Amino acid sequence: MSKIKLSKISKTYKAGLFKKKVRALTDLSLSVDAGTVYGLIGPNGAGKSTTIRLLLNLSRPDRGTVRIDALPVHESLGAIGYLPENPYLYDHLTLKELLFFAGRATGLATSDIRQLMEHLTATVGLDHVRGKSLRTFSKGMRQRAGLCFALLHDPSLVILDEPMSGLDPLGRKMVCDLILSLKKQGKTIFFCSHILSDIERLCDRIAVLHQGQMVREFTPDEITELRQGKMDLETEFIDVVERNEVHA
Amino acid sequence: MIGRIWALALVTFKEGLRDRSLYGIFLFALFVLGLNVLVAGFFMRDLGKVTVDMNLSALSFAGLLLVFFIGINLMAKDIDKKTIHLVLSKPFSRGEYIWGKFTGLVMFVGATQLVLLVFSSATVAVVRWMYPNFFAGFSWGIFITAVFFVFLQHVLLCAIVVFFSSLTSSSFISLIFSLASYIVGITLEEVVFYLRTPTANEEVAGAEFLQRSLEVVTWLVPNFAAFDFKLEAAHGLALEFSHLGVTFGYACLYIMLLLILASVIFSRREFN
Ligand SMILES: Nc1ncnc2c1ncn2[C@@H]1O[C@H](COP(=O)(O)OP(=O)(O)OP(=O)(O)O)[C@@H](O)[C@H]1O
Ligand SMILES: [Mg+2]
Repeated sequence: MSKIKLSKISKTYKAGLFKKKVRALTDLSLSVDAGTVYGLIGPNGAGKSTTIRLLLNLSRPDRGTVRIDALPVHESLGAIGYLPENPYLYDHLTLKELLFFAGRATGLATSDIRQLMEHLTATVGLDHVRGKSLRTFSKGMRQRAGLCFALLHDPSLVILDEPMSGLDPLGRKMVCDLILSLKKQGKTIFFCSHILSDIERLCDRIAVLHQGQMVREFTPDEITELRQGKMDLETEFIDVVERNEVHA
Repeated sequence: MIGRIWALALVTFKEGLRDRSLYGIFLFALFVLGLNVLVAGFFMRDLGKVTVDMNLSALSFAGLLLVFFIGINLMAKDIDKKTIHLVLSKPFSRGEYIWGKFTGLVMFVGATQLVLLVFSSATVAVVRWMYPNFFAGFSWGIFITAVFFVFLQHVLLCAIVVFFSSLTSSSFISLIFSLASYIVGITLEEVVFYLRTPTANEEVAGAEFLQRSLEVVTWLVPNFAAFDFKLEAAHGLALEFSHLGVTFGYACLYIMLLLILASVIFSRREFN
């Protein structure tokens, strides 16, 4: 069964004072099966974050439909955990208070929240700063805090916008392990990243987005070839992007 | 639903209380109240009235600073800095977000006003103890009622802030519009009053037309002057229960309308 289904999505932004139209996505269709790890790659401004915002009902498509578990997006938010790019958290709260907010907002009981919080903060390596104000966190620490916020309610679909950005090598490994363990628990993971080696290692499906269109989707067989070194993701990526360059 | 609204309200409340500007506003209010005690001796005639008036003005002004400097940020910054992406990724409906933020704002303004009220009551009590002769007409009941309506005015202002924040992503624009509504709302009654007088017809060209158009504005902008019971509190004049009831009902109705409208607008918004 497909967890996420986008059909023929188009999206334009009206930016600036004169409402100049910026085309972000054109006729994008993709479907993500339950229990898979789906990786979205593409150059800056390709429309990755836009796609993700559509999945969360933060933006709405001009045309096309977005379905999660066959439901419209606003009905399925309870099943989603989301990490935005550059998460901006509440400055004056402590990590503990932020996670209690996440737990209460998703209807967890206080005792469960405490237990999950302790477990999760230890996993991401923030257990020693639970009581510190988020204002004092470094970029990577914020990123980790954002991960806790996304995962606290044990969502069945995890959507991450560049989860590795700003993390040290240990942090990157932690995120990779986290994604693999979520996959083992049967969760669906949809994420985008610029770190191709991680994408190659983690994903069951990889799609390349360029100028708002899907220009390539790697099949499971191709991904096996990538992992065996018979094909190189970076050269494939550059190749497909250059071939599909449309000059406006 | 109540759980989610409460969770957001609590977060908003805590964010407000930990804002550094709060200390500044408190210091300012305490300074004015302290000044009141010190200079009390100079007003030999209307000492009681001056004290009550000064206290209510200090509470009212401190409340305005709280709403405009801290309150605005509590909602507008969410949208400005995209913290709202995090919040709305949880199963909040847009309406729940609006009500949660509003409740948090009201809790914040209420708690800070309550603390200020304690200090203010202490000031009044001290001055009254020093110069009991000047407080013949004073009544705690009327004083507290007047303070309550100052608070109600701020609650209405919170609803206005939430309404404008739901329209725009810029905290500065929300600030300007909320401030403008307040200033218009507090002066409008007087202007309309003036235009109705016979002298206005001679002094102002087109007073009739101006009066008509202003009456339309009166219906749009809340009448903030209606919440001002300083005069009654200062002179210890009895307050009519029906008058208070109507004012209270007016505020509630206005707040409801603003929040419903804000929820509708907010549900249609995108956060890119
Ligand atoms: N809020 C916005 N207003 C106007 N245009 C926008 C907005 N957000 C994105 N865009 C435009 O939409 C297109 C896609 O942007 P998007 O943020 O989805 O790219 P991305 O793939 O996430 O890039 P990156 O790798 O840099 O994060 C870009 O051309 C961008 O200029
Ligand atoms: Mg992006």
